[in-house]
Amino acid sequence: MHLTRDRIIAFAVLLPSLILIAVFVYGFIGQTVYISFTDWGRGAALALHPQMNLIGFDNYKELFTSFLHGRFRQDLINAFFYTMSLVLGSLSLGLFLAILLDREPRGEGIFRTIFLYPMSLSFVVTGTIWRWLLAPGGGINVLPTFVGLPAGHFRWTSSRGQILTFDWQSIPEITAIVVALVLLFLTIRTWRTGKHKRAFAVAVPALILVLWALFGGRMVPQMLPIPEKHGFNLATIGVSLAAIWQFSGYTMALYLAGLRGIPVGLHEAARLDGANDIQYYMRVAFPILKPITLSAVIILAHISLKMFALIFAMAGPDNASTGHPAVLMYLTTFRGNKFALGASIAVILFLLVALFIIPYLVSSYREQRRRAS
Amino acid sequence: MAEVVLEKVMKKFGDFVAVKGIDLKVDDGAFTVLVGPSGCGKTTTLRMIAGLEEVTSGEVKIGEKVVNRVPPKDRDIAMVFQNYALYPHMDVYNNMAFGLKLRKIPKKEIEERVHAAASLLGIEGKLKSKPRELSGGQRQRVAVGRAIVRNPKVFLFDEPLSNLDAKLRVQMRTELEQLHHKLQTTTVYVTHDQVEAMTLGSKIAVMRDGVIHQYASPQETYDHPSNQFVAGFIGSPAMNFLPARATLSNGNLILTGEGFTITLPSNGRIDTVPEQVVLGIRPEDLTGPVSEGENLLQVKVKVTEPLGNELLVYADCGGEQVVANLDPHQHVEIDSTIKLSPNLNTLHLFDKESEATLL
Amino acid sequence: MTAKLTWARVLLYATLIVVAAIYLMPIYMTVITALKDPADINLDTAWQLPSHLNWGSFSQAYAKLGPNIVNSIILAVTATLLSSLLGSLNGYVFSKWSFRGNDLVFTLLLFGMFIPYQIILIPLFQTLRAMHLYGGLPGLILAHVVYGLPITTLIFRNFYAQIPSSLTESAQIDGAGFFKLYLRVIFPLSIPGFVVTFIWQFTQIWNEFLWGITLTKYNANPITVGLAQLAGGQAVSWNLPMAGSIIAAIPVLIIYILMGRYFIRGLLAGSVKG
Repeated sequence: MHLTRDRIIAFAVLLPSLILIAVFVYGFIGQTVYISFTDWGRGAALALHPQMNLIGFDNYKELFTSFLHGRFRQDLINAFFYTMSLVLGSLSLGLFLAILLDREPRGEGIFRTIFLYPMSLSFVVTGTIWRWLLAPGGGINVLPTFVGLPAGHFRWTSSRGQILTFDWQSIPEITAIVVALVLLFLTIRTWRTGKHKRAFAVAVPALILVLWALFGGRMVPQMLPIPEKHGFNLATIGVSLAAIWQFSGYTMALYLAGLRGIPVGLHEAARLDGANDIQYYMRVAFPILKPITLSAVIILAHISLKMFALIFAMAGPDNASTGHPAVLMYLTTFRGNKFALGASIAVILFLLVALFIIPYLVSSYREQRRRAS
Repeated sequence: MAEVVLEKVMKKFGDFVAVKGIDLKVDDGAFTVLVGPSGCGKTTTLRMIAGLEEVTSGEVKIGEKVVNRVPPKDRDIAMVFQNYALYPHMDVYNNMAFGLKLRKIPKKEIEERVHAAASLLGIEGKLKSKPRELSGGQRQRVAVGRAIVRNPKVFLFDEPLSNLDAKLRVQMRTELEQLHHKLQTTTVYVTHDQVEAMTLGSKIAVMRDGVIHQYASPQETYDHPSNQFVAGFIGSPAMNFLPARATLSNGNLILTGEGFTITLPSNGRIDTVPEQVVLGIRPEDLTGPVSEGENLLQVKVKVTEPLGNELLVYADCGGEQVVANLDPHQHVEIDSTIKLSPNLNTLHLFDKESEATLL
Repeated sequence: MTAKLTWARVLLYATLIVVAAIYLMPIYMTVITALKDPADINLDTAWQLPSHLNWGSFSQAYAKLGPNIVNSIILAVTATLLSSLLGSLNGYVFSKWSFRGNDLVFTLLLFGMFIPYQIILIPLFQTLRAMHLYGGLPGLILAHVVYGLPITTLIFRNFYAQIPSSLTESAQIDGAGFFKLYLRVIFPLSIPGFVVTFIWQFTQIWNEFLWGITLTKYNANPITVGLAQLAGGQAVSWNLPMAGSIIAAIPVLIIYILMGRYFIRGLLAGSVKG
């Protein structure tokens, strides 16, 4: 491209935005990473030029191994469960609703509005409303009495109950087993497609991981002085319910747009080929909707890692059972003034999000390139 | 008024060479058609003349001035796009006036020019309509009108008729022809339709794979195609090609293939021939069926298409499909084997290897 | 398609109605609680309609949230207008003036939309403080404009991609330069794009909480922070937070109900990329 005057103008118009994004996104991320390697937050943290010394990975080490930061580790596990329940709950419910509406019932527009309106609300509004709905002695808990059943007694957001408990020390072994299971699944799939050599190549690392988990795991130095129990906090269920209520309409809208985007002829062709409705959705519609599922998973996972406001409004920031790294980051930084430690939590949160987002962006970038050429 | 000259013009998109260093001279006032199958580089060539694509190397001249670095608006050209590119938020009048307004032409003159163009095209009653209220043919006329009012040195057309239905296309083709006759503006016109090319162009450039294979008058490309590709592309139905073995003996050229042996007096026109050749016969140069004679094609009839004024016979000649345009006042039986007589004066002969014209 | 009343159809409607009731349940609870006398709010009778309507909670909640609402309106309107305008210009450049590395720059820009904002929060706090913008609305507006750029640019780029390039090329041949092309051709065609971005940005900014609570002082608190404080105290009876929730939700709910179509388009633009 040669530089005509208009091209220079075009770039000049774009430039301020690019500079802003470069500074406010990339510059700030770098700055946060830098802060996470310092000890900002010792004393006089709020001074305009606070004292900062580089201390390397100490903050991270502390978060993962210090006895004092058990809440952070439980929060990470909560974040995992929040993400799983929001993604699985919203996807399945959204798809279910989309299929119902795809049958073109009368009043479709009204139903669509009803399913989608929670999405327009603020997390704070949702949190406030659901806090009332899930009040231990009322709201949802008294609903069973209307049909003659005893009232529920579940203490939604303040329950201390925990299931699926495990020792933080065994995280390496658990990870190894999970990865091995995934590899095993891949092995079976590859074997079925007839690529036996490749299946074998996948099976070997799986086997090694299992063996290591069973016999070698103990050789890893202990991270904590004493065993530390973590697990699935039952109190998170209530928050997840509210989040699913808010976002299932969103996945419904995505799926419905996808279903409507499938040419009518395809459904008719499938019918002529002898497919019933279930077969049509399973064999024709789902595969076509795969990219939608993918982007919905990305967006939902990303939302779940930003659930700060919902948890804040619904259970309060100090409630440990419903904790989330995003809330802890706020508490650490802006209540505790431990900026460096807060920055470390932010970096960990960021890395978790990046795990989802970067492959997504890379693939969409590749797709654009392909379409452009 | 101006001539358009391309010298060794090349266009690369990344590693792909879309136009491979072509030379083309469009005389002042001439109507040149760039024709070829899709992907041949004809639209890219047109867009380089317009300045919408940058030239990778070579020179584009309009009116003897090199315009490689001149932006489109300063090239004094007007272009009609395949999808018309009418501004949807402006009415017809403003669509046509837009370019004039941007050039700060006095309001009164704009009005005169727009009305003149509109009456020339018969869309005066539509000046207040928005593009979406117009039919395909009317949109087409507005797009042409927008080009006319500018009174440019050069008109560029990018497949302007391909979005119209068949009947309207023929009508608009005639109108464009008359328009050019009246205005005598240098025109470059891109199409993939060889009938459009033949009827509109004072000269046509047949392109394939970024190369101009022949640049000549329509009749010349029909009568004396420069190679097998041009021969097959120009003319409808397309020329029949039959692989043959050629030998020269006693000043005669003997062509043999499955179903035919043809002896041509070479009359010194040809000294050497490659052994493998391709015989080219236009469907309209076949007559028959004949019962006896020399130099005949023996074919098996597959399908017949009586069109009233002509009878198209699709037949098989040694595994190759042969089309013959025969006298319609006769009956040809399907599955029968018949003999057809080619006009020996208009036979074409190509090198099988290089596709170059031998005869 | 004529819908015959088959068993499948009945089942479909029954399911839809039950699910719709579940989705509406929280709103029902909110409304009836907001309309009850504080004394009548009692966990056992939580589901029952109020014995008489008490509108007082709304004026009480409004008295507390009034300043927050004004803040949120100033914030949301200004930031929405600015980020939409910039997004429109950016989208115009990305879709009609593509340059080398176009896609890469765009993808890098888009990344800003997906980060958890905790990762930029501390430097943002530092920067605003250094610029003397910390604590007030201008700083918050700046943050919303900057971090709104990726989504508005994305929406407009996708929107302008639908405008055939022959239209802009034709205008270029007609003699339009960068700005004339934008003002005379692109901008007049952009109204649907602006509606989508306005709605999207307005609801997002109206609903935002994290920056509200970390970057503003009491006087500049937006509505979400005001509501959280109203609802946060344990002693408050539930009618007030519920009335406050309704007040906070009303503007976006109205927009959503009136212009839901465009809202969905914004949602789709934010996820399924083209």
